[in-house]
Amino acid sequence: MTTQDFDPRAFLADLLRERLDPAGLDWLEGACEEVAGGIASTRFGALLSLASRHVPARPLEPGVAALARAEAGLRGWNPERWDLRETARVRLLLSRRDLAEETFAADLEQAFRFADEGELRALYKALALLPGGERFVWRAAEGCRTNIVPVFESVACDSPYPARHFDDIAWNQLVIKALFIGAPLWRVHGLDGRLSEDLARMALDLADERRSAGRAVPPELWLALGTHAGERGRRSLEAEVATGDTLGARAAALALRRLDGGDWSRDGCDQAAFRAFDPRETR
Amino acid sequence: MRFFDPHIHVSSRTTDDIDAMAKAGIRAVIEPAFWLGQPRTNVGSFIDYFSSLIGWERFRCSQFGVTHYCAIGLNSKEANDEGLAREVLEILPRFALKEGVVAIGEIGYDEITAAEEKAYQAQLAFAVEHDMVVMVHSPHRDKKNGIRRSIDVAREVGVPMGKLVIDHNNEETVEETLDAGAWAAFTIYPHTKMGSQRMVELVKQYGPERIIVDSSADWGVSDPLAVPRTAQLMLEQGVDPAWVERTTWGNALEVYSQSGQIDREALDTLPRVDQRETFGENTVLRGQEPRVDRPVPN
Repeated sequence: MTTQDFDPRAFLADLLRERLDPAGLDWLEGACEEVAGGIASTRFGALLSLASRHVPARPLEPGVAALARAEAGLRGWNPERWDLRETARVRLLLSRRDLAEETFAADLEQAFRFADEGELRALYKALALLPGGERFVWRAAEGCRTNIVPVFESVACDSPYPARHFDDIAWNQLVIKALFIGAPLWRVHGLDGRLSEDLARMALDLADERRSAGRAVPPELWLALGTHAGERGRRSLEAEVATGDTLGARAAALALRRLDGGDWSRDGCDQAAFRAFDPRETR
Repeated sequence: MRFFDPHIHVSSRTTDDIDAMAKAGIRAVIEPAFWLGQPRTNVGSFIDYFSSLIGWERFRCSQFGVTHYCAIGLNSKEANDEGLAREVLEILPRFALKEGVVAIGEIGYDEITAAEEKAYQAQLAFAVEHDMVVMVHSPHRDKKNGIRRSIDVAREVGVPMGKLVIDHNNEETVEETLDAGAWAAFTIYPHTKMGSQRMVELVKQYGPERIIVDSSADWGVSDPLAVPRTAQLMLEQGVDPAWVERTTWGNALEVYSQSGQIDREALDTLPRVDQRETFGENTVLRGQEPRVDRPVPN
């Protein structure tokens, strides 16, 4: 999945070196060495926890150049919104020498079992960077069953993992659940490439449900239609343009342009264009 | 005013309660691990319970602008199931060092049995080893003796008295707790442990030094607004506002901040609640309009 010359462990180590204070960095270097030397499952879990006592949860702020390196190294992987503590925890994880082996998979599952919210975020964020990603599909789908939104987003957003590994059931559930809990769909990597008739029908059903309840349709819902809307979808979109609130009408207008295919990126109506409807981005 | 309720079992309260707490000015809470009204039968139940204290309950509170900390421990009642207690003590370190865990607790005595003492000592030793604060539950029956013994054993194991909080005190036990140098917490229960009026008299008599008011609200008859209500009564009856502030906010903050897990600056800023940001109808909102940019009044 990664290009040959991209080493996520070194990449994260560089970012952390420039951003942690000497005491935090000392602790992390020591902990990574300990992990690399081989470590018992409970001690591994303790080090993941202890990161909260040595590394602040401040934003990572990787900067434009690093983000470009990340995208070039692993398409769809975007640590723009990570924090320092998550980054340190992922680096700890990647320091294991047995990443491809069963011993690591077992210890990782133990870490998930005993994790707090911050650890869950880091562990799920790490999945895209692990070799043999297919080993963790059940765990990733389990992460999407959470109602803690930041944990859900750690699986679903800014990561190539779901689009690559989820089957259709898990993928469709991820997309519709994102709409339910207000997670940003435009940040689900690979969405535009994995749209389907089934997904469009589920999205349209949700839109009808919301309207019957007298509630607004989330603008990002229209992103899930793509070219699979059919006549029903076209009518639904036209109704939204005519009667929806400002954001909803604008999003539906954008989705109408997607109905017939073409080059969405060139036409300014790909999933990235729906960032405009994300309240967290526009505040 | 703002309040800190350093002992409440949020997992047995509804979102209506949490909303009311936020509106009444409760800014932060500590949820100590306790029993669930009936005994658990396997260690997995403890694992899932501890996990909810550092996960879902924290998240639920955050949605209403209430900062949630917790204390991890094996309670005294269930310490009497010795086989299970051994297993729980084995997994305890996996939770006790997590982010936002401000103490080992609530631990101590119920019937004052040998099994309870064994679990109590083991957890005190863990607290000493990791330089943690200890929250002690004092027994309903033989309370005076229970508190005396809790303090003596903690001292023997090496817990500094400044890191020891003895909870559920009353008029009969307060002097012994304070004289030992420990912190004296009082649980305001409508019918049993301590009423608000009695609490007012206690603060008038003993002053604010090392005295803490909490609700211990749980699944029984109890009041999640006990702390603000008691503060109100204190003010109405002429207690110095600075004393009220210390007993319902400052003291709890001071003792539990020793954990290094409380960001006092963050607590000082007015909470902003934006459920739109992190919540949808499938979480704790069920179709109602999310609250947006409305600071919690206090």
